[in-house]
Amino acid sequence: MTEIIIKNGFVFDPINKINGEKMDICIKNGKIVESVNEHKAKKIDATGLTVMPGGVDIHTHIAGGEVNTGRMVRPEDHIKDAVSKTALTRSGSGYSIPSTFVTGYRYSKMGYTTVMNPSMAPLEAKHTHEELNDIPLLDKASYPLIGDWWFVLEYLQKGDLESCARHVAWMMDTTKGYAIKIVNPGGLESWGFGKNVHTIDDQVPNFCITPREIMVGLAKVNTMLNLPHSIHLHTNNLGLPGNYLTTLDTMRALENVPNNGKPVAHITHLQFSSFGGDGWGSMKSAAPEISKYINNHNHMTFDMGQVIFTDTTTMTADGPFEYTLYQLSGHKWVNSDVETETSGGIIPFHYKKNNAVNTIQWSIALELALMIEDPWKIMMTTDHPNGGPFFAYPKIIAWLISNKARMATLKLCSKKGQKKSLLPTLNRELSLYELAIVTRAAQAKALGLKNKGHLGVGADADVAIYNVNPETTDIANKYKGVRRAFRSAAYTIKDGKIVVKDGEVVENVSGRTMWLDVHTTEKVKVDDDMRNRFKQYWTVEFDNYPVYDHYLKVPQAIAVKASI
Amino acid sequence: MITLTPLKQFKYPVYAECITPDVFQGKDIAEIANLPVNEGNQVKNLSDLFKIEEDNAATPTITINGDASEVRRIGIGMKNGEIIINGNVGMHLGEKMVGGKITVNGNAGQWVGGGMKNGLIEIHGDAGDYLGSHYRGVSEGMKHGVIVVDGNVGSDSGCYLRGGVIKIKGNAGPFLGYHMSDGTINVEKNAGPRLGANMIGGKIVVGGLAEDMMPTFTIDTSKPKVKIDDTQSAQGPFYVFLGDLAEDGKGKLFISKANNPKLKFYEKYL
Amino acid sequence: MTVIKSVTCPICGCLCDDIEVTVENNEVVKMKNGCAVCEGKFLGYKGEHRTKKPLIRKDGKLVPVTMKEAVHAAAEVLANANYPILYGWSSTSSEAQRVGVELAEEIGGVLDNTAVVCHGPSILGVQEVGIPTATLGQIRHRADLIIYWGCDPWSAHPRHLERYTNFTEGRFEKSEWTSYMTKLKAHAGNRKLASAMRIEDSKAKPKPQACYVGGSPPELSKGGRKLIVVDVRKSMTAEMADFFIQVEPNKDYEVLQALRALVKDKELDVDSVGGVPVEYLQDLADALVNCEFGVIFFGMGLTQTAGKFRNIEVAIQLVRDLNSKTKFMIMPMRGHYNVTGANVVSSWQSGYPYGVDFSLGYPRYNPGETTCMDVLLRDELDASLVIAADPGANFPKNAVQNMVKHPLIVIDPHMNATAMLGDIVFPAAFVGIEVDGTAYRMDSVPIPLHKVVDPPAGVLSDEEILKKILEEVKIIKAKNAKVA
Repeated sequence: MTEIIIKNGFVFDPINKINGEKMDICIKNGKIVESVNEHKAKKIDATGLTVMPGGVDIHTHIAGGEVNTGRMVRPEDHIKDAVSKTALTRSGSGYSIPSTFVTGYRYSKMGYTTVMNPSMAPLEAKHTHEELNDIPLLDKASYPLIGDWWFVLEYLQKGDLESCARHVAWMMDTTKGYAIKIVNPGGLESWGFGKNVHTIDDQVPNFCITPREIMVGLAKVNTMLNLPHSIHLHTNNLGLPGNYLTTLDTMRALENVPNNGKPVAHITHLQFSSFGGDGWGSMKSAAPEISKYINNHNHMTFDMGQVIFTDTTTMTADGPFEYTLYQLSGHKWVNSDVETETSGGIIPFHYKKNNAVNTIQWSIALELALMIEDPWKIMMTTDHPNGGPFFAYPKIIAWLISNKARMATLKLCSKKGQKKSLLPTLNRELSLYELAIVTRAAQAKALGLKNKGHLGVGADADVAIYNVNPETTDIANKYKGVRRAFRSAAYTIKDGKIVVKDGEVVENVSGRTMWLDVHTTEKVKVDDDMRNRFKQYWTVEFDNYPVYDHYLKVPQAIAVKASI
Repeated sequence: MITLTPLKQFKYPVYAECITPDVFQGKDIAEIANLPVNEGNQVKNLSDLFKIEEDNAATPTITINGDASEVRRIGIGMKNGEIIINGNVGMHLGEKMVGGKITVNGNAGQWVGGGMKNGLIEIHGDAGDYLGSHYRGVSEGMKHGVIVVDGNVGSDSGCYLRGGVIKIKGNAGPFLGYHMSDGTINVEKNAGPRLGANMIGGKIVVGGLAEDMMPTFTIDTSKPKVKIDDTQSAQGPFYVFLGDLAEDGKGKLFISKANNPKLKFYEKYL
Repeated sequence: MTVIKSVTCPICGCLCDDIEVTVENNEVVKMKNGCAVCEGKFLGYKGEHRTKKPLIRKDGKLVPVTMKEAVHAAAEVLANANYPILYGWSSTSSEAQRVGVELAEEIGGVLDNTAVVCHGPSILGVQEVGIPTATLGQIRHRADLIIYWGCDPWSAHPRHLERYTNFTEGRFEKSEWTSYMTKLKAHAGNRKLASAMRIEDSKAKPKPQACYVGGSPPELSKGGRKLIVVDVRKSMTAEMADFFIQVEPNKDYEVLQALRALVKDKELDVDSVGGVPVEYLQDLADALVNCEFGVIFFGMGLTQTAGKFRNIEVAIQLVRDLNSKTKFMIMPMRGHYNVTGANVVSSWQSGYPYGVDFSLGYPRYNPGETTCMDVLLRDELDASLVIAADPGANFPKNAVQNMVKHPLIVIDPHMNATAMLGDIVFPAAFVGIEVDGTAYRMDSVPIPLHKVVDPPAGVLSDEEILKKILEEVKIIKAKNAKVA
């Protein structure tokens, strides 16, 4: 295998506390090593360039039934963004829901090497994995949706945490999943009959359980199983004015769950959960209230869910929320409930600058990123494609590092929205070091990916090199250049191979699909009882339900020893 | 003025987006000859498929003499100038056109003037389906401008119409003016079934037989005549229907009384 | 003798996966749980007319050749074609479909699946207005109102009612099996009586009725699951229904649109729609609004009759409107067992579900323009590859004539009509019997297909054949590029 030495770059590696030091990075056999034979190794001259670990996305909808239905219903989204075949790359199409190959290429061109697909209905997990196999150049993993899974509801209702935990462990293996995903807990089961829950203490119809009990129960299960990531949570009342109160209730509810000092939950796309006001007219930012709480507590992590002003496609397992969006937009609406497990919905959505609510949403995400003091707590996402397509990340980078960039956008926005934006009061500008935290290091840490998000010896040789000279560039002032640099990486290295050079794909590799192989002392017993229950709950046979190993092109099992 | 003559009868679809006055303007004949076009899955030069001749007159006009029924996307997005086609022409003629004029002395394929923003298209023969309509999944059809068809048009013409005028001197197929929200469609002869289905606004005038009325239109009144545009009005008398009720629509159908005796029973509601 | 359980049936969009197959000496000898169609396929797959070697047409006759020769000949045709079509894909695995998309892209062809002649209009309708839907289990557990519109599951999807709707036991809704059995018996009795009376008085032929309503509105307010059928004729499923509405042919659009207006409490000027008195429609509208969880299943009676995709669009709009009052879902009754998969795979790789034209180097989609039926009728093609479908038997005559004018490559386990017309024919193994893979059920749930017996020696799977052709095409294209 080729050895590579990246010479003289400015290295930003926050996990190892390296802040722009000029140093060499050595790569051998797909790993970062102490040193290589300088004569034999391929040299990359990174003089004057920024070197970071490969980007890590903690939450991006790129594959699976929901995403693909989005593709199917939006030919108008693709026709404006056709991608031609080349000698090396497959053809495809964008825009907000790119085809699989295009997804891989576009992420890699931005220096990303690991992405997490946060929403996988267990029943449709095979589909997700089939698509992940067709997403090149990236390591991937998926979170099964199990917050409203009947097994979970029943065990938690009975207070039988251990059985719940064993079945969750079984589910990780069965779906080849990576983390517990909870969406609008209790709301999805209610949506089965067109209802929803509105506080974390509402009763879920037919199940005698509340969202609070689901969240706390699964957080405890997560601890019992020692899963590398915490529960990954999409809160109740998402996307509704005044929902920050629910979000505060949710965070408080999880304060006392023990997790050996690690975060107990990750609230995803926080922007959508931080609305103040009591109607769309009075809707305003609740970033001050939310960030104040977060600055005083350390039991959770978050990601932004930044809104981009463009025509995108919203898709989430939160069926009732998508129905609300449909009532607002009147455009096409897809609903896709999944038996025994979850629901889902899709709505095309155009975030417009001249719309006050959209402007406030855009502002909230940035306010959160700037008002939450510890960058390790709030990571950069758009909740692709819900807030906007992932390839708009360079725009967010510009907004994060430059007040000037923020003001340039804000002044184009709705006057009413501008008035309500708190951005003019926030002068914080992220440094490249902090940027490396919010785009890779914090993600890897929150996900418990020990070999990702850093460049220490033994880490996976996933590296991004950007054409930014931190010594000579005032990044806040020259944000356009930084934006350009992060749009097309000078180099992206995946597993020790140069896959992108100057923003173009130069080699094709298949990434891995990571999943958790959770060992509990007692496994779920597959007896007649389990099979019968299975027959009653689902419409597929027990033996046809699991994602068998051959569904993963390049599998990487991560062994986890549970404490039960 | 540039004259294009097809060098052969095309078998494979030819995609010739470059055939617009805007692209030709300012190019000499050699440059025009080198413009890329697609024939099937092969990329060709315009001169591989057409004989190209230049006239001294500096008018931004393109004339096509011969059968261009497999040639698609002519005049796409054109802003000014004129295209004259002496023969039949293929799909997507003048799609997303912004200005200028296209004349077809022959028949045109489907999607003529799809998503048209302005300008004038005259077809002195028949036109295919989806005249002045939209691309799949988009809810916006033609916005402004005028399309005149001397012959018949296919189905779904004027669907998602947002404005402008479509004048059809012959018959129209089913789903005329589907989901239109503004603009005017005038059919001098007969209109097919599902006329104005899902209509939200605008008006459709039928001078001949309306083959079948949607049950979700309700009779409003009757009128002796109706204005089509500043230059033309249609002589009635007409029944005036409102709909589509299923969409809470405010669209208006003007249906000739004389040619639709079977609609007489609606008069009891007047 | 081995008994294999949980085998998936590779016939229709129901993808029943509870089939028990007994295998002896590499032959299926016994079946359990399957419907008649399923048993027919598993027990009859061997077929006496099955070819085991590739064939090439020489001097007008198909003669056996080696795999290598056939692959090279097919690749030569495809690599040098100006506008080839690649059609079929519905009765094969997603694994094969994946290779198909790449092959279409490589040769700049038009990739299309059988949806174009069945539920393509459903997709077009969905692209206009979306679709509120759910997996079949959701319907099994919750639906108290089930409507079959323009489809006859009793005949075409024989286990649909038993596994997913009225005759299945759900968590919140019970099976209506016993009450239907009683009803069927009564029907049978009535029929005997009627036929006896017809013999008695053969002159008094029953007049065809514009609208037949079986059952009366009280049946619509009964407890438990209700079954409503809307069709142009009284199908087998309609015999069992609580309420049947007979619509004049090609009038479904008007009926659905009228229902939308009625659901919105509008008054209609007319007395009847599509031959159905408005008061019946009003009863139906009330039933729709008053259910807890309703669902409409629709078939080709809606997708392929006048109005086509607009029929689906209006049906979806009706369901969408109903969701402001109750929970309502809609689902197409997909025919071939993996036609859904063909749409799914094509979408994730190209962005478009069917009718994808790669001739410009990138995917394009516009049914009517890029769909293979239209390409065939306009005779724009110069070669075709047909796999896992039989257009030779069911396409219009003009289309077939244009198809056989040009080189035709066929990949199929059967020596079907298309294969008989073909120039290069590859016999393939039966997917779901002789090879495994994945298929997508009508509700897009992926289900594994199982290999229960070995294919005959030398017979490859669709996926393997396609991979060989793709590889050879790449070699030929590289050579051609060098020469150029």
